[in-house]
Amino acid sequence: MPPGLDKLKHIVVLMMENRSFDHMLGGLKAVDPRIDGLTGNESNPDTSGAQVKVQPLAKFQGQLDPDPDHHFPAVDLQIFDGNNSSPRVPTMQGFVKSYFNQQRDVKHSHNIMYYFPPNKVRVLSTLALEFAVFNRWFCSIPGPTTCNRAFAHYGTSFGQVGLDIFYVKEPYKSIYERLDQAGFKAKIYYYDTASSTVEIVNLLQHQPQLFGTYQQFLSDCEDGILPDYSFVEPNYTDHDGDSGVEIASDQHPDHHVQAGEAFIASVYNAIRTQPKLWPNTALLVVYDEHGGIYDHVPPPACPKDGFVAQPNDTGTGRPFEFDRLGVRVPAILISPWIPKGTVVDGRIFEHASIPNTVTKFFLGSYDQRSAREKTSETFLDLLTLQTMRDDAPEFQVG
Amino acid sequence: MAIIKIKKPPDSAIDKARPISSLLRTQVEHMQEAEFRLPADKQTNIYINAIKTEAEAADYIRKVTERLHESHGVAPAGVARKKPAKISQIAASAAAAQTKQRSKKASRTASKKRS
Repeated sequence: MPPGLDKLKHIVVLMMENRSFDHMLGGLKAVDPRIDGLTGNESNPDTSGAQVKVQPLAKFQGQLDPDPDHHFPAVDLQIFDGNNSSPRVPTMQGFVKSYFNQQRDVKHSHNIMYYFPPNKVRVLSTLALEFAVFNRWFCSIPGPTTCNRAFAHYGTSFGQVGLDIFYVKEPYKSIYERLDQAGFKAKIYYYDTASSTVEIVNLLQHQPQLFGTYQQFLSDCEDGILPDYSFVEPNYTDHDGDSGVEIASDQHPDHHVQAGEAFIASVYNAIRTQPKLWPNTALLVVYDEHGGIYDHVPPPACPKDGFVAQPNDTGTGRPFEFDRLGVRVPAILISPWIPKGTVVDGRIFEHASIPNTVTKFFLGSYDQRSAREKTSETFLDLLTLQTMRDDAPEFQVG
Repeated sequence: MAIIKIKKPPDSAIDKARPISSLLRTQVEHMQEAEFRLPADKQTNIYINAIKTEAEAADYIRKVTERLHESHGVAPAGVARKKPAKISQIAASAAAAQTKQRSKKASRTASKKRS
């Protein structure tokens, strides 16, 4: 077994909000051509028929207001450009038209094609170039947050494609329950009680003991008592906290992107600066869905989930058999056992890869899981170095 | 090892009066679904349709999250609850007696000095 895997004790996942791969990391193609980002020639037609090219003009805040539509029908338009034939091929040509629908402003609709140059998102870009960036990590459903995050917790969304309340159906258990029942420790760290978690109806309501706050995550890192598996949620709102105003750090439009960069840096530093934690931890930074923002890579078909969403739920007039993934999102795996500049290509990942990876690592064989989870790729094989790196950066926020 | 400096966002980035997004609206609705299962005296009685801003949503979310924790007998995440010290009756009396003795001694000393 490679030494990185042999020493691995903790897996940490930080899931951010609503930004596509090209929007956040597309500019890295100019730095490393192996990264499947943007050439500058990618485009979408607007409603006047003009071609709108991608440009490095993304702003930290104020540009994607109103919040781009990322519900199932809108994402269907973004991917298939209004083609309702069967079978149909994803063209990724409907983003500008989709954003136009929200404000009926042709010029404003072009904003959906803007991306960040690497020097504006230094934390994410640095981590992508230093560690392992995934060319093909897709969100699990071409839809919004709740159902996508469900795939990270359960390996399925139980047939949900929207933000509606869903209840867990036996026999599938969350990754936290699986680990807990086997004697391992797992925790979801939400930012604070005012931000809380997105998984309320099943996990917070019934198992609040699974939760901790972000301050607790920092102290647990410092005290060397991090659980075997940790899932970290950013701050979802601007609100008054115990020690002043807390700024939303999830990067969900229209929250300030720099706040999210600072949060990612904080999570990374908490692990990186602990000599007893850094060699034994793998950190995955990933986004839950693309937020309605442009990406050039068509999502592939995937094994069916076993559930079906009916036309009433999809809003498109057609059912959805969970046989196609959602739009690509940024995903970076961080560990001192990963070679610098790793670009993961030729393999398809999605959020079900998270519980699959964690289950296989800690539990080995475990049958009661969705078909999607069982067939998904896992990612710990990227820890290949024989000698631990000592050149990983630290971030200083201020 | 490189240290990379990152800028903080400006204070102007904060807007507690920002209208809530569909995600936050959903979070509030899910919170209500959960709080309706609490005993009536644990519920917030907040009318969620009136929640329009991030600050209002955060306040509601905090209240329900804390009540969910408390109803399960779990301290709200991250809050270190100090258990009241259990002092036996004997120890309490002994401490009180000791305090009284110290006061008397201080008085006697003060009176000797005066004379």
